[in-house]
Amino acid sequence: MMKVVEVKELQRDFDKKTGILRKKKERITAVKGLSFSVNKGEIFGLLGQNGAGKTTTIKMLITLLAPTSGTCKVLGKDVYKDANDIRKKINFIFGGELGVYRRLSARDNLLYFAGLYKLPDSVAETKVQELLELVNLSKDADRLVETYSKGMIQRLQIARGLINDPEIIFMDEPTIGLDPIGAQMLHNIILGLKEKGCTVLLTTHYMYEADELCDRVAIMNHGELIALDTPANMKSKYSLNKDQSLEEVYIQLIQYNESNREGKGGEGV
Amino acid sequence: MKILLKTIQLQIKNSWIRPMFRFCLIVNPIMNAFFLYHMFLQSGQPNFLSYVVLNAGLMALWGCICFSSIGDIERERYMGTLPLIYATPTSFGLVILGKIIGNTFLSMSSILISYLTVKLICFERIHIGSPIYLFLSFLLLIISFSSVALCIAYLLMLSRKTSLYMNLLELPIILFCGFAFPIEELPVWAQTISKCIPITWVVKLLRMSIDGVSNTEAFNRSFGICMLTTGICMVFIWVIYKVIDMQIRVNATLEVS
Repeated sequence: MMKVVEVKELQRDFDKKTGILRKKKERITAVKGLSFSVNKGEIFGLLGQNGAGKTTTIKMLITLLAPTSGTCKVLGKDVYKDANDIRKKINFIFGGELGVYRRLSARDNLLYFAGLYKLPDSVAETKVQELLELVNLSKDADRLVETYSKGMIQRLQIARGLINDPEIIFMDEPTIGLDPIGAQMLHNIILGLKEKGCTVLLTTHYMYEADELCDRVAIMNHGELIALDTPANMKSKYSLNKDQSLEEVYIQLIQYNESNREGKGGEGV
Repeated sequence: MKILLKTIQLQIKNSWIRPMFRFCLIVNPIMNAFFLYHMFLQSGQPNFLSYVVLNAGLMALWGCICFSSIGDIERERYMGTLPLIYATPTSFGLVILGKIIGNTFLSMSSILISYLTVKLICFERIHIGSPIYLFLSFLLLIISFSSVALCIAYLLMLSRKTSLYMNLLELPIILFCGFAFPIEELPVWAQTISKCIPITWVVKLLRMSIDGVSNTEAFNRSFGICMLTTGICMVFIWVIYKVIDMQIRVNATLEVS
């Protein structure tokens, strides 16, 4: 199985300066010794509490952040040194209402990003129309985005993330703000992408979503990996009772890790 | 080239749609022209109206560039689009350049607005000594203003306090580059700084063109120095581009903290 994402002993620190006259430097480690890999065509879920380091990991993988140490490769290329080679072949979707030009129409937003992803004009027009139909925005395509609802903006984000037919798509809480029909639509898009051979790496707080979509899931806590397996194996390995859901298993693992950390004076497991 | 033109087009559209930008572009030169007209009225200079037009227009132009071109970094950061455009295969520097050129083009209309304002105030003919030289100077104005704005915008990528620096930058450039009065009025040390900024030379060229170029050699010399300082500015941008590109990923300054 071809590995399209390879992460080894990845670490990312953030330095925070406080004080005006006597400046103090505080170091926060968001990702600590993280190692995992993602296979081609796989839907891989990165789960964890708020502040677990999921978004930071994704930002390193999409070349937005430089790793402090460790190896971080996408499609065999180093995310720091070979960023330009990677960017052509990947795309990403962040959850929420940010990341769109609100004073432009959805069509103009997509056409602009088509240009940034170097799509020829003839292809761009068709591709944009196709994507607008896919996310059910074709009727409102020429309205300014500032008049859109939260869910519509999120659907536009999804369309933008697919503009370059990426080989790997990274999604950070993509269903946040989506209504059940919108979420279902995104699930179908994700499954459709998998059928086409596209790799999907997503983060989510909805365990049923991870269970339904992901081939494998990794659970992170305090920047460290605490479990990695298929949802089915995860449930059979870590369940205390029969028929436990992924959510229950997830909570158990996090609580266990937390109590271990407290016992070890805050160190990782 | 295509993406540069698309970015210019998008930027003009995006800037024009913002009420604050329209205010800076339209109201600012009207007010500048009105106040400068009354300040220069008793100056005794025969061609003072053209100075009023030029000074009022340039002050508004720089204001628009400061709060739009440079401020766009901040705006895109808050809109969450900065990381999106950064992570595309298109050079980030090219996108920023497109934004700045787009804004500079649009902001140049502030000179036209200050011209119309002065016309409305006094209905007098505004004399332009050398229109062809003035046209050449305007072309150089786009290049030099854009290169200075690009340099500042790129340096500000390293910080999240863009709006603070943006406010600090507006007035010093107006004073150092001789928008309101000739740089010869400044202390010698300040004149040295002024002469290193390409905008100073463009302002000088515009003034010479309005007065009428009688000494072609002097015009050519200022033109040459302007090109040289702009060139140095561009080389500096080229050098810092790679460093800043790496640093923004190390320091995580693309997003709001």
